[in-house]
Amino acid sequence: MSDAVMPEEQSFNDLYRDHRGWLEGWLRRRMSNGHDAADLSQDTFVRLLASSQRIADLQEPRAYLATVGKRLLTNFYKRRSLEQAYLNALALLPEDCVPSPEQRWILLETLQALDELLDGLPRPVRRAFLWSQLEGLTYQDIAERLSVSERTIKRYMAQAYEHCLLVTL
Amino acid sequence: MIGSAPSAEARQAVRAAAQWLALMESGSANERDRAELQTWRNSHSSHEQAWQKAQVLRQRFAELPSALAMASLDRPQESRRTVLKRGLGAVALVPAAWLISRQLPLEVWSADLRTATGEGKTVRLADGSSLQLNTASAVDIDLKKRWLKLVEGEIALSVPGISPLTVQTHFGQVVVSQGEVCVRQGQTGCKVSVLKGAVRLQPLHGPDFSLQAGQQVSLKAAGAGAIEPFDVLAPGWREGVLMAQNQPLGDFLRELSSYRPGVLRWEPALESLRVTGSFRLQDTDRILALLAASLPLEVHSRTRYWVTLLPRKNSV
Repeated sequence: MSDAVMPEEQSFNDLYRDHRGWLEGWLRRRMSNGHDAADLSQDTFVRLLASSQRIADLQEPRAYLATVGKRLLTNFYKRRSLEQAYLNALALLPEDCVPSPEQRWILLETLQALDELLDGLPRPVRRAFLWSQLEGLTYQDIAERLSVSERTIKRYMAQAYEHCLLVTL
Repeated sequence: MIGSAPSAEARQAVRAAAQWLALMESGSANERDRAELQTWRNSHSSHEQAWQKAQVLRQRFAELPSALAMASLDRPQESRRTVLKRGLGAVALVPAAWLISRQLPLEVWSADLRTATGEGKTVRLADGSSLQLNTASAVDIDLKKRWLKLVEGEIALSVPGISPLTVQTHFGQVVVSQGEVCVRQGQTGCKVSVLKGAVRLQPLHGPDFSLQAGQQVSLKAAGAGAIEPFDVLAPGWREGVLMAQNQPLGDFLRELSSYRPGVLRWEPALESLRVTGSFRLQDTDRILALLAASLPLEVHSRTRYWVTLLPRKNSV
Protein backbone atom coordinates (compact mmCIF):
# COMPACT_ATOMS: atom_id res chain seq x y z
CA MET A 1 0.00 0.00 0.00
CA SER A 2 1.24 3.47 -0.76
CA ASP A 3 0.87 6.39 1.57
CA ALA A 4 -0.61 8.58 -1.12
CA VAL A 5 -3.94 10.07 -0.10
CA MET A 6 -6.69 9.03 -2.48
CA PRO A 7 -8.82 11.86 -3.86
CA GLU A 8 -11.91 10.55 -2.06
CA GLU A 9 -10.06 10.39 1.22
CA GLN A 10 -8.81 13.92 0.66
CA SER A 11 -12.39 15.12 0.14
CA PHE A 12 -13.42 13.45 3.38
CA ASN A 13 -10.60 15.05 5.29
CA ASP A 14 -11.55 18.44 3.92
CA LEU A 15 -15.16 17.92 4.77
CA TYR A 16 -14.34 16.79 8.28
CA ARG A 17 -12.01 19.73 8.86
CA ASP A 18 -14.43 22.31 7.43
CA HIS A 19 -17.72 21.13 8.92
CA ARG A 20 -17.20 19.00 12.01
CA GLY A 21 -17.28 22.00 14.35
CA TRP A 22 -20.40 23.31 12.66
CA LEU A 23 -22.19 19.94 12.90
CA GLU A 24 -21.30 19.51 16.54
CA GLY A 25 -22.70 22.97 17.28
CA TRP A 26 -25.83 22.13 15.30
CA LEU A 27 -26.34 18.97 17.33
CA ARG A 28 -25.46 20.65 20.62
CA ARG A 29 -28.29 23.12 20.13
CA ARG A 30 -30.66 20.16 19.87
CA MET A 31 -29.29 18.12 22.75
CA SER A 32 -28.65 18.90 26.37
CA ASN A 33 -25.44 16.96 26.69
CA GLY A 34 -22.26 18.09 24.94
CA HIS A 35 -20.67 14.65 25.02
CA ASP A 36 -23.67 13.12 23.28
CA ALA A 37 -23.50 15.83 20.63
CA ALA A 38 -19.80 15.14 20.03
CA ASP A 39 -20.48 11.38 19.79
CA LEU A 40 -23.32 11.86 17.34
CA SER A 41 -21.29 14.22 15.23
CA GLN A 42 -18.57 11.61 15.04
CA ASP A 43 -21.15 8.96 14.15
CA THR A 44 -22.48 11.15 11.36
CA PHE A 45 -19.06 11.28 9.71
CA VAL A 46 -18.56 7.56 10.20
CA ARG A 47 -21.89 6.92 8.43
CA LEU A 48 -20.80 9.14 5.60
CA LEU A 49 -17.53 7.26 5.23
CA ALA A 50 -19.34 3.96 5.17
CA SER A 51 -21.98 5.07 2.69
CA SER A 52 -21.62 4.95 -1.04
CA GLN A 53 -22.11 8.71 -1.28
CA ARG A 54 -19.22 10.32 -3.21
CA ILE A 55 -18.13 13.19 -1.03
CA ALA A 56 -16.74 15.22 -3.92
CA ASP A 57 -20.23 15.18 -5.46
CA LEU A 58 -21.87 16.82 -2.46
CA GLN A 59 -23.28 20.19 -3.51
CA GLU A 60 -24.48 21.22 -0.08
CA PRO A 61 -22.33 19.33 2.41
CA ARG A 62 -23.95 20.95 5.45
CA ALA A 63 -27.47 20.14 4.29
CA TYR A 64 -26.35 16.56 3.78
CA LEU A 65 -24.67 16.35 7.18
CA ALA A 66 -27.75 17.85 8.83
CA THR A 67 -29.95 15.22 7.20
CA VAL A 68 -27.78 12.36 8.38
CA GLY A 69 -27.39 14.02 11.77
CA LYS A 70 -31.14 14.41 12.15
CA ARG A 71 -31.66 10.73 11.46
CA LEU A 72 -29.04 9.76 14.02
CA LEU A 73 -30.62 12.15 16.48
CA THR A 74 -34.02 10.50 16.06
CA ASN A 75 -32.45 7.07 16.58
CA PHE A 76 -30.64 8.39 19.61
CA TYR A 77 -33.93 9.50 21.20
CA LYS A 78 -35.58 6.21 20.37
CA ARG A 79 -32.77 4.27 21.98
CA ARG A 80 -32.80 6.55 24.98
CA SER A 81 -36.55 6.21 25.48
CA LEU A 82 -36.34 2.43 25.11
CA GLU A 83 -33.55 2.33 27.65
CA GLN A 84 -35.62 4.43 30.03
CA ALA A 85 -38.69 2.21 29.68
CA TYR A 86 -36.50 -0.85 30.19
CA LEU A 87 -34.87 0.54 33.31
CA ASN A 88 -38.25 1.51 34.71
CA ALA A 89 -39.54 -2.00 34.17
CA LEU A 90 -36.41 -3.40 35.81
CA ALA A 91 -36.89 -1.12 38.78
CA LEU A 92 -40.25 -2.75 39.44
CA LEU A 93 -38.59 -6.09 40.03
CA PRO A 94 -37.66 -7.21 43.54
CA GLU A 95 -34.09 -6.52 44.57
CA ASP A 96 -33.27 -10.08 45.50
CA CYS A 97 -33.07 -11.14 41.84
CA VAL A 98 -29.66 -9.79 41.03
CA PRO A 99 -28.17 -10.58 37.62
CA SER A 100 -24.82 -9.58 36.25
CA PRO A 101 -24.68 -6.17 34.57
CA GLU A 102 -23.47 -8.00 31.49
CA GLN A 103 -26.68 -9.95 31.15
CA ARG A 104 -28.66 -6.80 31.67
CA TRP A 105 -26.92 -5.15 28.75
CA ILE A 106 -27.23 -8.15 26.50
CA LEU A 107 -30.96 -7.99 26.98
CA LEU A 108 -31.02 -4.25 26.38
CA GLU A 109 -29.02 -4.65 23.18
CA THR A 110 -31.43 -7.32 21.98
CA LEU A 111 -34.38 -5.07 22.72
CA GLN A 112 -32.77 -2.18 20.89
CA ALA A 113 -32.15 -4.31 17.83
CA LEU A 114 -35.77 -5.48 17.83
CA ASP A 115 -36.99 -1.93 18.40
CA GLU A 116 -35.14 -0.85 15.28
CA LEU A 117 -36.51 -3.82 13.41
CA LEU A 118 -40.06 -2.80 14.27
CA ASP A 119 -39.42 0.86 13.50
CA GLY A 120 -41.73 2.24 10.84
CA LEU A 121 -44.66 -0.05 11.57
CA PRO A 122 -47.95 1.71 12.30
CA ARG A 123 -48.75 1.67 16.02
CA PRO A 124 -51.70 -0.78 15.95
CA VAL A 125 -49.73 -3.20 13.75
CA ARG A 126 -46.78 -3.03 16.11
CA ARG A 127 -48.95 -3.63 19.17
CA ALA A 128 -50.80 -6.53 17.58
CA PHE A 129 -47.45 -8.08 16.67
CA LEU A 130 -45.99 -7.61 20.16
CA TRP A 131 -49.07 -9.02 21.87
CA SER A 132 -48.88 -12.05 19.67
CA GLN A 133 -45.12 -12.61 19.95
CA LEU A 134 -44.52 -11.68 23.56
CA GLU A 135 -47.77 -12.45 25.32
CA GLY A 136 -48.94 -15.24 23.08
CA LEU A 137 -52.39 -13.72 22.59
CA THR A 138 -54.53 -15.29 19.88
CA TYR A 139 -55.61 -13.26 16.88
CA GLN A 140 -59.10 -13.30 18.33
CA ASP A 141 -57.90 -11.80 21.64
CA ILE A 142 -55.96 -9.12 19.79
CA ALA A 143 -58.92 -8.31 17.56
CA GLU A 144 -61.03 -7.76 20.68
CA ARG A 145 -58.40 -5.60 22.35
CA LEU A 146 -58.05 -3.40 19.28
CA SER A 147 -61.76 -3.54 18.38
CA VAL A 148 -61.10 -4.65 14.83
CA SER A 149 -61.89 -7.85 12.93
CA GLU A 150 -59.73 -10.97 13.08
CA ARG A 151 -59.15 -10.54 9.35
CA THR A 152 -57.57 -7.20 10.06
CA ILE A 153 -55.30 -8.76 12.68
CA LYS A 154 -54.23 -11.40 10.19
CA ARG A 155 -53.38 -8.62 7.75
CA TYR A 156 -51.51 -6.70 10.49
CA MET A 157 -49.50 -9.77 11.39
CA ALA A 158 -48.57 -10.52 7.80
CA GLN A 159 -47.56 -6.89 7.39
CA ALA A 160 -45.39 -7.00 10.52
CA TYR A 161 -43.71 -10.26 9.55
CA GLU A 162 -43.03 -8.99 6.06
CA HIS A 163 -41.62 -5.73 7.40
CA CYS A 164 -39.24 -7.50 9.80
CA LEU A 165 -38.14 -10.10 7.27
CA LEU A 166 -37.48 -7.48 4.60
CA VAL A 167 -35.21 -5.58 6.95
CA THR A 168 -33.12 -8.70 7.47
CA LEU A 169 -32.87 -9.59 3.75
CA MET B 1 -22.29 -0.90 4.11
CA ILE B 2 -25.39 -2.34 2.55
CA GLY B 3 -25.04 -4.88 -0.21
CA SER B 4 -27.11 -5.02 -3.34
CA ALA B 5 -30.85 -4.56 -2.95
CA PRO B 6 -32.76 -7.79 -2.31
CA SER B 7 -34.02 -9.46 -5.44
CA ALA B 8 -37.68 -9.33 -6.41
CA GLU B 9 -37.75 -13.08 -5.88
CA ALA B 10 -36.51 -12.81 -2.30
CA ARG B 11 -39.03 -10.07 -1.59
CA GLN B 12 -41.84 -12.16 -2.97
CA ALA B 13 -40.78 -15.19 -0.93
CA VAL B 14 -40.73 -13.06 2.22
CA ARG B 15 -44.17 -11.66 1.52
CA ALA B 16 -45.59 -15.13 0.92
CA ALA B 17 -43.89 -16.51 4.06
CA ALA B 18 -45.39 -13.66 6.09
CA GLN B 19 -48.85 -14.44 4.77
CA TRP B 20 -48.47 -18.16 5.38
CA LEU B 21 -47.34 -17.57 8.92
CA ALA B 22 -50.25 -15.23 9.64
CA LEU B 23 -52.65 -17.82 8.27
CA MET B 24 -51.11 -20.60 10.36
CA GLU B 25 -51.17 -18.54 13.53
CA SER B 26 -54.69 -17.27 12.98
CA GLY B 27 -56.04 -20.70 13.84
CA SER B 28 -58.15 -20.80 10.70
CA ALA B 29 -55.78 -22.97 8.66
CA ASN B 30 -57.09 -26.39 7.68
CA GLU B 31 -55.37 -29.58 6.57
CA ARG B 32 -55.35 -28.43 2.97
CA ASP B 33 -53.67 -25.15 3.89
CA ARG B 34 -51.02 -27.07 5.78
CA ALA B 35 -50.41 -29.31 2.81
CA GLU B 36 -50.21 -26.31 0.49
CA LEU B 37 -47.76 -24.61 2.82
CA GLN B 38 -45.58 -27.70 2.71
CA THR B 39 -45.74 -27.72 -1.08
CA TRP B 40 -44.85 -24.05 -1.18
CA ARG B 41 -41.89 -24.57 1.14
CA ASN B 42 -40.64 -27.51 -0.89
CA SER B 43 -41.08 -25.80 -4.24
CA HIS B 44 -38.12 -23.43 -4.00
CA SER B 45 -35.11 -22.95 -1.78
CA SER B 46 -35.89 -19.24 -1.41
CA HIS B 47 -39.30 -20.19 0.00
CA GLU B 48 -37.84 -22.49 2.61
CA GLN B 49 -35.21 -19.87 3.46
CA ALA B 50 -37.85 -17.20 4.01
CA TRP B 51 -39.86 -19.62 6.14
CA GLN B 52 -36.85 -20.49 8.29
CA LYS B 53 -36.00 -16.81 8.70
CA ALA B 54 -39.49 -16.20 9.94
CA GLN B 55 -39.07 -18.99 12.49
CA VAL B 56 -35.81 -17.45 13.69
CA LEU B 57 -37.61 -14.14 14.09
CA ARG B 58 -40.34 -15.75 16.19
CA GLN B 59 -37.70 -17.44 18.29
CA ARG B 60 -35.94 -14.14 18.95
CA PHE B 61 -39.11 -12.76 20.45
CA ALA B 62 -39.95 -15.97 22.29
CA GLU B 63 -36.61 -15.84 24.08
CA LEU B 64 -37.36 -12.48 25.65
CA PRO B 65 -38.82 -12.11 29.14
CA SER B 66 -42.26 -11.00 28.05
CA ALA B 67 -43.09 -8.45 30.74
CA LEU B 68 -39.80 -6.58 30.37
CA ALA B 69 -39.86 -6.73 26.59
CA MET B 70 -43.45 -5.58 26.45
CA ALA B 71 -42.76 -2.63 28.76
CA SER B 72 -39.78 -1.62 26.62
CA LEU B 73 -41.04 -2.22 23.09
CA ASP B 74 -44.60 -1.06 23.68
CA ARG B 75 -43.59 2.00 25.70
CA PRO B 76 -45.79 5.06 25.38
CA GLN B 77 -44.56 7.65 22.89
CA GLU B 78 -42.61 10.29 24.69
CA SER B 79 -41.41 13.69 23.66
CA ARG B 80 -37.68 14.20 23.47
CA ARG B 81 -37.87 16.69 26.28
CA THR B 82 -39.37 14.18 28.73
CA VAL B 83 -36.84 11.55 27.78
CA LEU B 84 -33.95 13.88 28.37
CA LYS B 85 -35.28 15.41 31.55
CA ARG B 86 -35.65 12.07 33.22
CA GLY B 87 -32.16 10.97 32.37
CA LEU B 88 -31.01 7.56 33.44
CA GLY B 89 -32.14 6.75 36.92
CA ALA B 90 -31.30 4.10 39.43
CA VAL B 91 -30.98 0.65 37.99
CA ALA B 92 -32.53 -2.51 39.33
CA LEU B 93 -31.06 -5.75 38.20
CA VAL B 94 -32.61 -8.73 36.60
CA PRO B 95 -31.08 -11.94 35.31
CA ALA B 96 -31.37 -12.52 31.61
CA ALA B 97 -31.30 -16.21 31.04
CA TRP B 98 -30.92 -18.04 27.79
CA LEU B 99 -31.72 -21.62 27.30
CA ILE B 100 -28.76 -23.88 27.63
CA SER B 101 -30.00 -27.31 26.83
CA ARG B 102 -27.63 -30.05 27.74
CA GLN B 103 -26.78 -31.87 24.58
CA LEU B 104 -25.35 -35.31 25.13
CA PRO B 105 -23.06 -36.39 22.33
CA LEU B 106 -23.90 -40.03 22.89
CA GLU B 107 -25.06 -42.60 20.48
CA VAL B 108 -27.38 -44.52 22.69
CA TRP B 109 -28.57 -48.06 22.13
CA SER B 110 -29.92 -48.86 25.50
CA ALA B 111 -29.88 -46.74 28.59
CA ASP B 112 -31.76 -45.58 31.60
CA LEU B 113 -31.86 -41.82 31.34
CA ARG B 114 -32.97 -39.45 34.05
CA THR B 115 -33.16 -35.70 34.55
CA ALA B 116 -33.25 -33.81 37.85
CA THR B 117 -35.79 -31.13 38.65
CA GLY B 118 -35.08 -28.11 36.48
CA GLU B 119 -32.81 -30.07 34.16
CA GLY B 120 -33.35 -30.86 30.48
CA LYS B 121 -31.51 -33.32 28.29
CA THR B 122 -31.29 -34.06 24.58
CA VAL B 123 -30.04 -37.40 23.31
CA ARG B 124 -29.49 -38.59 19.78
CA LEU B 125 -30.27 -42.27 19.49
CA ALA B 126 -28.26 -44.65 17.35
CA ASP B 127 -31.08 -44.97 14.78
CA GLY B 128 -31.16 -41.22 14.14
CA SER B 129 -34.11 -40.59 16.44
CA SER B 130 -33.85 -37.70 18.80
CA LEU B 131 -35.09 -37.78 22.36
CA GLN B 132 -35.56 -34.84 24.68
CA LEU B 133 -36.27 -35.21 28.38
CA ASN B 134 -38.12 -32.53 30.28
CA THR B 135 -37.59 -31.77 33.98
CA ALA B 136 -37.69 -34.65 36.51
CA SER B 137 -38.14 -37.35 33.87
CA ALA B 138 -36.91 -40.89 33.45
CA VAL B 139 -36.90 -43.31 30.51
CA ASP B 140 -35.58 -46.79 29.83
CA ILE B 141 -34.51 -47.35 26.25
CA ASP B 142 -33.95 -50.57 24.37
CA LEU B 143 -33.44 -49.76 20.71
CA LYS B 144 -32.87 -53.37 19.67
CA LYS B 145 -36.42 -54.08 20.74
CA ARG B 146 -37.55 -50.70 19.28
CA TRP B 147 -38.96 -49.95 22.67
CA LEU B 148 -38.81 -47.10 25.14
CA LYS B 149 -40.46 -46.90 28.54
CA LEU B 150 -41.49 -43.56 30.02
CA VAL B 151 -41.10 -44.13 33.74
CA GLU B 152 -42.00 -40.62 34.80
CA GLY B 153 -42.07 -37.06 33.53
CA GLU B 154 -42.18 -35.93 29.92
CA ILE B 155 -40.32 -36.64 26.69
CA ALA B 156 -40.32 -35.40 23.12
CA LEU B 157 -39.41 -38.03 20.58
CA SER B 158 -38.62 -37.48 16.92
CA VAL B 159 -38.42 -40.58 14.75
CA PRO B 160 -37.03 -40.32 11.20
CA GLY B 161 -39.11 -43.22 9.90
CA ILE B 162 -36.77 -46.13 9.43
CA SER B 163 -38.76 -48.36 11.70
CA PRO B 164 -41.39 -47.59 14.36
CA LEU B 165 -40.51 -46.93 17.98
CA THR B 166 -42.96 -47.80 20.74
CA VAL B 167 -43.28 -45.63 23.82
CA GLN B 168 -44.72 -47.50 26.74
CA THR B 169 -46.50 -45.53 29.46
CA HIS B 170 -48.52 -46.52 32.52
CA PHE B 171 -51.69 -45.79 30.56
CA GLY B 172 -51.07 -47.33 27.15
CA GLN B 173 -48.62 -47.35 24.25
CA VAL B 174 -47.69 -44.82 21.60
CA VAL B 175 -46.28 -46.15 18.33
CA VAL B 176 -44.27 -43.57 16.39
CA SER B 177 -43.49 -44.57 12.81
CA GLN B 178 -42.43 -41.24 11.46
CA GLY B 179 -42.96 -37.95 13.19
CA GLU B 180 -42.53 -36.07 16.38
CA VAL B 181 -44.51 -36.48 19.56
CA CYS B 182 -44.58 -35.26 23.15
CA VAL B 183 -45.61 -37.70 25.85
CA ARG B 184 -46.19 -36.58 29.40
CA GLN B 185 -46.82 -39.00 32.19
CA GLY B 186 -48.73 -37.86 35.26
CA GLN B 187 -50.18 -39.59 38.31
CA THR B 188 -53.61 -40.17 36.83
CA GLY B 189 -53.00 -40.11 33.09
CA CYS B 190 -50.70 -39.54 30.22
CA LYS B 191 -50.95 -36.77 27.64
CA VAL B 192 -49.86 -37.37 24.06
CA SER B 193 -49.38 -34.41 21.66
CA VAL B 194 -48.36 -34.92 18.04
CA LEU B 195 -46.09 -32.22 16.61
CA LYS B 196 -45.31 -33.75 13.23
CA GLY B 197 -46.56 -36.74 11.28
CA ALA B 198 -48.92 -39.14 13.01
CA VAL B 199 -48.80 -41.77 15.76
CA ARG B 200 -50.81 -44.86 16.63
CA LEU B 201 -52.24 -45.07 20.15
CA GLN B 202 -53.05 -48.21 22.08
CA PRO B 203 -54.94 -47.28 25.26
CA LEU B 204 -55.39 -49.74 28.15
CA HIS B 205 -59.07 -49.98 27.25
CA GLY B 206 -60.82 -49.37 23.95
CA PRO B 207 -59.71 -49.65 20.33
CA ASP B 208 -56.43 -48.40 18.86
CA PHE B 209 -56.57 -45.09 17.01
CA SER B 210 -54.38 -42.59 15.15
CA LEU B 211 -53.47 -39.11 16.24
CA GLN B 212 -52.34 -36.48 13.70
CA ALA B 213 -50.05 -33.46 13.95
CA GLY B 214 -51.80 -30.68 15.86
CA GLN B 215 -53.88 -33.10 17.94
CA GLN B 216 -53.52 -34.18 21.54
CA VAL B 217 -55.26 -36.64 23.78
CA SER B 218 -55.15 -37.90 27.37
CA LEU B 219 -54.84 -41.59 28.10
CA LYS B 220 -56.24 -42.67 31.46
CA ALA B 221 -56.76 -45.95 33.23
CA ALA B 222 -60.29 -46.12 31.80
CA GLY B 223 -59.16 -45.41 28.21
CA ALA B 224 -58.63 -42.42 25.93
CA GLY B 225 -60.27 -39.01 26.39
CA ALA B 226 -61.44 -36.68 23.63
CA ILE B 227 -59.02 -35.61 20.90
CA GLU B 228 -58.27 -31.90 21.10
CA PRO B 229 -56.44 -29.51 18.79
CA PHE B 230 -53.39 -27.57 19.97
CA ASP B 231 -50.94 -25.09 18.46
CA VAL B 232 -47.85 -26.93 17.23
CA LEU B 233 -46.11 -23.61 16.55
CA ALA B 234 -46.37 -22.43 20.15
CA PRO B 235 -43.01 -22.68 21.88
CA GLY B 236 -42.88 -24.95 24.89
CA TRP B 237 -40.52 -26.65 27.29
CA ARG B 238 -38.45 -28.03 24.40
CA GLU B 239 -37.46 -24.46 23.59
CA GLY B 240 -37.06 -23.78 27.29
CA VAL B 241 -40.23 -21.71 27.41
CA LEU B 242 -43.24 -21.85 29.66
CA MET B 243 -46.25 -20.32 27.93
CA ALA B 244 -49.35 -19.08 29.65
CA GLN B 245 -52.40 -17.61 28.07
CA ASN B 246 -54.86 -16.19 30.49
CA GLN B 247 -54.03 -19.10 32.75
CA PRO B 248 -55.09 -19.19 36.42
CA LEU B 249 -52.00 -18.39 38.48
CA GLY B 250 -52.48 -21.54 40.59
CA ASP B 251 -52.20 -23.79 37.53
CA PHE B 252 -49.24 -21.81 36.28
CA LEU B 253 -47.40 -22.09 39.61
CA ARG B 254 -48.05 -25.83 39.88
CA GLU B 255 -46.48 -26.20 36.44
CA LEU B 256 -43.63 -23.87 37.35
CA SER B 257 -42.84 -25.71 40.56
CA SER B 258 -42.12 -28.87 38.60
CA TYR B 259 -39.10 -26.98 37.22
CA ARG B 260 -37.95 -25.66 40.60
CA PRO B 261 -36.13 -27.59 43.26
CA GLY B 262 -37.38 -26.77 46.75
CA VAL B 263 -40.67 -25.48 48.07
CA LEU B 264 -42.86 -22.97 46.27
CA ARG B 265 -46.02 -21.97 48.13
CA TRP B 266 -48.66 -19.33 47.59
CA GLU B 267 -51.70 -17.91 49.32
CA PRO B 268 -55.00 -19.33 48.08
CA ALA B 269 -56.12 -15.75 47.33
CA LEU B 270 -53.62 -15.69 44.46
CA GLU B 271 -54.91 -18.89 42.88
CA SER B 272 -57.37 -17.20 40.52
CA LEU B 273 -55.19 -14.32 39.23
CA ARG B 274 -54.53 -14.62 35.51
CA VAL B 275 -51.17 -14.99 33.79
CA THR B 276 -50.32 -14.36 30.15
CA GLY B 277 -46.83 -14.48 28.71
CA SER B 278 -43.92 -16.65 27.69
CA PHE B 279 -41.29 -17.27 30.31
CA ARG B 280 -37.79 -18.68 30.08
CA LEU B 281 -37.48 -21.80 32.18
CA GLN B 282 -33.73 -21.45 32.52
CA ASP B 283 -34.17 -19.09 35.44
CA THR B 284 -37.32 -19.69 37.45
CA ASP B 285 -36.35 -17.06 40.05
CA ARG B 286 -36.71 -14.51 37.33
CA ILE B 287 -40.12 -15.85 36.35
CA LEU B 288 -41.24 -15.21 39.91
CA ALA B 289 -39.77 -11.71 39.76
CA LEU B 290 -41.63 -11.03 36.52
CA LEU B 291 -44.87 -12.24 38.07
CA ALA B 292 -44.32 -9.87 40.97
CA ALA B 293 -43.73 -7.05 38.49
CA SER B 294 -46.98 -7.60 36.64
CA LEU B 295 -49.35 -8.99 39.28
CA PRO B 296 -50.35 -7.74 42.75
CA LEU B 297 -48.12 -10.17 44.62
CA GLU B 298 -44.85 -10.26 46.52
CA VAL B 299 -42.10 -12.86 46.53
CA HIS B 300 -40.75 -13.85 49.95
CA SER B 301 -37.67 -16.01 49.81
CA ARG B 302 -36.52 -17.51 53.06
CA THR B 303 -33.87 -19.29 51.04
CA ARG B 304 -33.68 -19.96 47.33
CA TYR B 305 -35.38 -23.28 48.08
CA TRP B 306 -38.17 -21.94 50.24
CA VAL B 307 -40.28 -19.32 48.49
CA THR B 308 -43.73 -18.01 49.34
CA LEU B 309 -45.92 -15.74 47.25
CA LEU B 310 -48.19 -13.35 49.15
CA PRO B 311 -50.75 -10.80 47.98
CA ARG B 312 -49.07 -7.40 47.82
CA LYS B 313 -49.90 -5.19 50.77
CA ASN B 314 -51.77 -2.01 49.93
CA SER B 315 -53.24 -3.66 46.85
CA VAL B 316 -56.87 -4.56 46.49
